[in-house]
Amino acid sequence: MRFQDASPDARAVVYAGIQADPLVARLATLLTDATPAQLVLARAVMNGETTDPAIWRAMVPSCFPDERSEAILRASLEVADRGEQVRSQFRGAVVEALTQVLLARRAGSSASVRRERRILFDGVRAEIHPYDVTVEQPGRSEAYDCKWSARGIGADVLHQLDDARSHAADEEEPLAVSLVVFDTRLACRVRLDRQTAPHERTGLVTFETLGVLATGG
Amino acid sequence: MPQPATQPLADVVSRALDALEALGLLAEEIEDEWTYVTDLGEAQRTRLQAIADRRPVDEVTADRAAAVDLAIEETGRIADAHKAIDWLSTFPDLVAMALDEPVGGAATDAGGAIDAAPTPRPA
Repeated sequence: MRFQDASPDARAVVYAGIQADPLVARLATLLTDATPAQLVLARAVMNGETTDPAIWRAMVPSCFPDERSEAILRASLEVADRGEQVRSQFRGAVVEALTQVLLARRAGSSASVRRERRILFDGVRAEIHPYDVTVEQPGRSEAYDCKWSARGIGADVLHQLDDARSHAADEEEPLAVSLVVFDTRLACRVRLDRQTAPHERTGLVTFETLGVLATGG
Repeated sequence: MPQPATQPLADVVSRALDALEALGLLAEEIEDEWTYVTDLGEAQRTRLQAIADRRPVDEVTADRAAAVDLAIEETGRIADAHKAIDWLSTFPDLVAMALDEPVGGAATDAGGAIDAAPTPRPA
């Protein structure tokens, strides 16, 4: 098993610009220590129509007054302000960046935590889509796919993750595979209940368990 | 007209359930997601109704009732069916939080087929 940078296609080049936007890093950093309630606030604002912060404060009173909530609200409104098409790319980039930051905390160094990587196995055709985030450490590597919502969970991603785990096992290399979903566990479970693709050995990280990425649970 | 200091929790949840149903109807326009939309809508309806059933005599303060009403107003601004699907998962949490209930619904967290632990394990 070996890791490799994904070949940059046109989509990747455009997306790399979004990933590099300082707003993505700022929001991801704010969310690393957010409570589940603050994560819901961020999701609602980034997916909402209202741009008046006073309305959001009144709509989510359990989060205010609080400095982190204010900062999350401000940054989330900036994402929402980017327009419908761009905001969806920003949201995805935020989830990936958040995952990367949390995993780097556990790894103790960001060196082994990588983005947009492919995983290659002997005699197996490489997947077209790279993994959003990987932790590359001998004997204990991990691969993550990040989703903005439970709706993003589908057969393709479940097969890709489980295939990677299975191929790694064939090579006697442990590879933990997980989904990180910026949504609640309830929504993910409802989504997964109808999925027939294998996912029994795929981890699921949601609002309720996001912190586990940093601690290792 | 001045707002009452408190409102029955059941009334607040009832308004939220109406808004949830309207969101679900909009979300159903995405035919490929019909099953997910109906499953999620039902799960969320059950979750919110369970709160009302568990707290039949509780009152909600005016600011918390207003928070739920603002969330309901926000769902009324959603015109896109794809966005409505996203709001089917988010809106009930805004309601739950206003009612001092946990995010995601604690009762739904047990069980399931998937491993919730993301740490590396031997293959």
